Amino acid sequence: MNLVDPAAFQAALGMLFSDASPWLIVVPGIVIGLVFGAIPGLQISMAMAIFLPMTLYMDFMQAMLFLTAIFTGGGFGGSIPAILMNIPGTSSAIATAFDGYPMSRKGRHNTALGIALGASCIGVIVGYSLLLLLINPLSEVVLRIGPAEMTVVILWGITLIGGLSSGSLLKGLISGLAGLLVGTIGYSEAGVTRGTFGSPYLLDGVPAIPAMIGMFAASELFRLVNSDYLVADSAARKVSVAKILAGFRSAIGYPWIVLRGSLIGVFVGSIPGVGSSVANLLSYMATKRKHEDPDSFGNGNPSGVVASEAANSTSEAGSMATLLALGIPGGGATAVMLAAFSMHNITGGPQFIREETDVVYAIILANFGQAFLLIVLGLLFIPLLANVIKVPMNYLVPSVLSLAIFGAFGLTGDLSGPITVLIFSVIGFIFKRFGLSVPAAVIGILLGGMAEDSMIYLHQISGGQWTYLLERPMALIILALLAASLFGSKIVSMLTRRARA
Amino acid sequence: MTERPGTLNRHRLADLGVLVILAALVVLYCVDSVQASRSIYNLIFVLPVGILVLLLCAGQFVMGVRTLREEGEQPEPITDVLPVILLFAGYVLSLHWLGFDVGTIVFIGSFLWLHGERRLPWLAAYAISFGILVALFFSMMLPYPMPMLILGSAY
Repeated sequence: MNLVDPAAFQAALGMLFSDASPWLIVVPGIVIGLVFGAIPGLQISMAMAIFLPMTLYMDFMQAMLFLTAIFTGGGFGGSIPAILMNIPGTSSAIATAFDGYPMSRKGRHNTALGIALGASCIGVIVGYSLLLLLINPLSEVVLRIGPAEMTVVILWGITLIGGLSSGSLLKGLISGLAGLLVGTIGYSEAGVTRGTFGSPYLLDGVPAIPAMIGMFAASELFRLVNSDYLVADSAARKVSVAKILAGFRSAIGYPWIVLRGSLIGVFVGSIPGVGSSVANLLSYMATKRKHEDPDSFGNGNPSGVVASEAANSTSEAGSMATLLALGIPGGGATAVMLAAFSMHNITGGPQFIREETDVVYAIILANFGQAFLLIVLGLLFIPLLANVIKVPMNYLVPSVLSLAIFGAFGLTGDLSGPITVLIFSVIGFIFKRFGLSVPAAVIGILLGGMAEDSMIYLHQISGGQWTYLLERPMALIILALLAASLFGSKIVSMLTRRARA
Repeated sequence: MTERPGTLNRHRLADLGVLVILAALVVLYCVDSVQASRSIYNLIFVLPVGILVLLLCAGQFVMGVRTLREEGEQPEPITDVLPVILLFAGYVLSLHWLGFDVGTIVFIGSFLWLHGERRLPWLAAYAISFGILVALFFSMMLPYPMPMLILGSAY
């Protein structure tokens, strides 16, 4: 059986390269994505929603190229504030900040940005190559993912990040689980409200992205008010294109980390809703575990940046697989793409893949072109954006705090967004001061509602019989991995001690 | 800054206080959930996770009590951060009256003054140009009106 249909492949090449018009909208798309991803508080999905009406005047192919270009640009753009200011532009860039920001504070911001760009571009190419080959089998795997698998993937993600991002596993787990509870505030499936304490703003729950902005961005900026610059050493503040290029080239020197991150990104990224937030963490964790010096992670190890960026850029391909093969949007950005589908009277799903294989291939192939354009545009834009490192902190802190407040208003449409940023900035500051894990709490808030829904569906499907889990091998494997990440190292050290005795 | 061994470590004491507050909030949320509805769909996730958080808090509390008198690093004092948090809170809570344009100008100007910027023309020029440009950009990009004092919410 051919994994790729040669006739459709040839037709796709014809669609893309018979004239230049499909590519004319890709460049502005990537730039829009870069800008929206790089400004804290603005989201890729927001950019896509704002520019969605423009796609009405394009044919379906052009519309998809434009939207995926925003997606690709934004995917990398989110890593820029994560590296320079410890503010992940999106939840999929959380692990990028773990080592990217320490690199910046040591004056290695140029290298970190170059590495992130390199890993992102390679990740997009590897991810879409896998998608080209595996779109049919992948869609079958995604169809088998039910609420049991969703629940255990979420719990696994919380466990991993709880152990990763805090000095104490116990405190990490407390933070992650408390975050899950915050994520369930508001209307429940039972039709009642919980934890709103009379506030109408909380009926729909705590706005997750403003909470993320508050916990990551504002709380970090509070800690930096006494610094003069992000990088203390004035000589290290220089923006060097040569170093960015060197960093970009050095990303090629981590082929196994990129490949592992890409595989994790494609498969975990295809899980609706959960994928991109968890994929970067899984890839980071796997790389840290395999590394010869795991203690260097969190202190500016470039491998951490490569692992996270490779996974989050390929999780875009994973979420596209779910959208194209099943018509299910995996997150905000793919939901906007689904809207573009319906605007052009197209329904994603197995029939779409079967009948419009050439269009599917053209969308995938266009992303290879986008990866190369991202290299060029990224190298042009990074030196401009990296100048943020030269801004004195007394100017940077209030400016970024204001941008976060504007962005939060943009997300909610009322003052509940800015107020959420304020409340969670104080909570984030307290968490950091007392060693609780901010990333674990944020992932918990983002996934809490989904975890509860999955649990309810699991109960409905299983009829309350927990033995149902035994019929779900994929869920059992993930549960075993969860147990291994909790107790694995302890069991191994216990066995080693016994063997020595 | 470190504390002498044998005396109560104030930071670790505050750490225990944070755990107690967190546990109390979790109890409050679980009680509110139970009072809202005892339906299994309302409690199937919240109650087990809440109980797990309380157990973990208890474990961490016991560990914290054991190390209460151990010597340890003290974090930076919060005296420098507190005015910034208060200023930020004032900014956010006054947006309804001052609007995003004037509120941002006042916040940026006050922050710069608080952090030692005394070149008044430069301070005013930066605060006003940043506030107006960002307010205009977002009001044009967003599909809903933003509260504004001088620019008008029609943007």
